[in-house]
Amino acid sequence: MAIAPRVTRRGRSISVWAVLGILVALTYAPILVVLSVSVKDSAQFYNSFWGISLPFHWENFGNAGAVLAPYLLNSIIVSGSSMAGVVVLSCFAAYAFARFRFAGREVLYYMVLALMMIPGVLTLVPQFLLVKNLGLLETRWALILPYIASGQVLAIFIMRAFFAGLPEELFESARIDGAGELSAFWRIALPLTKPVLGTVAIIQLLATWNDYVWPFVVTQQTPDLYTLVVGLVSFTGRHSTDWGLLMAGNILAALPLVVVFLFAVRYFVQGLTAGALKV
Amino acid sequence: MASGISSPASAPTPMQAEMRPAARGTSRAGRLGRSIIPYLFVLPTMVMLVVFMYFPAFTALYRSFYTWDGIGTPVFTGLSNFTTMFGDQIMQQAFANVFKLAAFAMTVQVAVPLVVARLILSLRSARTQYIVRVLFVIPLVVPQVVFYSVWLFFYDPQDGVINQLLIALHLDNLTQSWLGDPKLALYCIIFVWFPFVDGFALLIYTAGFQTISPEVLQAASVDGAGPWSRFWRIELPLVLGQIRLIVVLNMIWALQSYTAVLILTQGGPGTATYVPGLVLYANAFQNRQMGYACAVGVVLFLIMLVLTFINLRYLRSRTDYDPGRAVA
Repeated sequence: MAIAPRVTRRGRSISVWAVLGILVALTYAPILVVLSVSVKDSAQFYNSFWGISLPFHWENFGNAGAVLAPYLLNSIIVSGSSMAGVVVLSCFAAYAFARFRFAGREVLYYMVLALMMIPGVLTLVPQFLLVKNLGLLETRWALILPYIASGQVLAIFIMRAFFAGLPEELFESARIDGAGELSAFWRIALPLTKPVLGTVAIIQLLATWNDYVWPFVVTQQTPDLYTLVVGLVSFTGRHSTDWGLLMAGNILAALPLVVVFLFAVRYFVQGLTAGALKV
Repeated sequence: MASGISSPASAPTPMQAEMRPAARGTSRAGRLGRSIIPYLFVLPTMVMLVVFMYFPAFTALYRSFYTWDGIGTPVFTGLSNFTTMFGDQIMQQAFANVFKLAAFAMTVQVAVPLVVARLILSLRSARTQYIVRVLFVIPLVVPQVVFYSVWLFFYDPQDGVINQLLIALHLDNLTQSWLGDPKLALYCIIFVWFPFVDGFALLIYTAGFQTISPEVLQAASVDGAGPWSRFWRIELPLVLGQIRLIVVLNMIWALQSYTAVLILTQGGPGTATYVPGLVLYANAFQNRQMGYACAVGVVLFLIMLVLTFINLRYLRSRTDYDPGRAVA
């Protein structure tokens, strides 16, 4: 009676470990296969598919990296500037919605929120035609400007909640010290936003970095502007049977965001769960 | 074109310029500043949203009643795009496919992360919990296109890992041209997410489980509830809000996504793996049927609008189950 529960508890924890272990293994097994293929040349690939064959052909990574590096730079430019744009614009707008009283505030805020219900499939075609008519097709602006616009919605929602939650006393004491509305925003509110800015920036990074269809359709004719994801697909199409090179390319394409993630797990987790609010 | 580029870039500058006089502020300048400032703060955002979101959304609604190649003069054809759509065999196939994908997303892809989230929380050390959870979240930041590209290799009929594995196991007769088989291709597209431990759902569920107060669980144990009955009778009802949230989000996500199909099969073989999003894409960028593509977008939007209202209701009800603690 006294021993039995302890035994079952241990048995239970072993089976929990077994289930989780199997699932982790299944999640990561493809990566092992990809890794083993990525250091093979064609002969090694066809002669020993499953074995580890020496020498390792690390030059696959060098060759894939040389092709993908310009695409990586494009992704950094596009995601970086759209992150900066979203952070700056939504900071101002969210602060106004949270802490100023002005005519039309509710209407404008609901105009922002209503956009959460507009799915990408509805706006894809007209947005393409708009960008084309503005003469932005085959330029980076075709990516950056729509990304900034669509990223605003969730960013403002999150930041408004943050600004609205700041204690009024902070601002009152600043006002007593003679600070104007703008310096209250600049000196008091902004320095406090660092954590929430991180979350907002990460949401935007994930949304833009991994997007495929939009960057493909607006820069299709200009491979020099391809983002990493679009570049990877075109790379896959060009080297359809050079598996070692392709798998090295896939690993390289996955790495940047995984590395960033490991340095900012907390922001990513917050950003991902906050993303639940958006369709 | 020039204004489109310069407005977001230059917008913050006038505000910064204005900052100094307002901060110094005579009372009149302060009051004047106060009345204009909020509008200046929201102006760049509203301009961006109107130009790049509202205008395209209304264009889509409007052009769905036109026959248009995107270049020539649009011709008003009333509801013909919509009637064509309902008679279109590819569209019927696409809806049949998307319902299968959605059904899968609303069951397996809801249940597996739920079980995993609970199992992880039963690990003893908080640090191990964290590490295991992170291991399941990492795939979330890998571009989906990488998964598709890797699985294109796995499914390859000659060199692919799956057929090679079957040959190595002497199951040569089971080898298939996976994505080339109209009966299998759609399931192959689903299988890319094996073992279906979606990191996002995992995080949402974990937050839900963590809001359950330990007193409630303790009380249940005192009353003699075993771990199974505790899970079914207490914990599951308390995370019902999160479950419904994931069901609705997965449904909405499944309904509109088509990147996997676009990269893995382009809708083929034949039209076997078409989904509505791909019909929209193909009509817009291959057939130049912009009006028809807009109409497909509108239909998807209307379906999603209904689902979004359901979603919003459930989002609110998420807090109904919150026993007075902060929602993560």
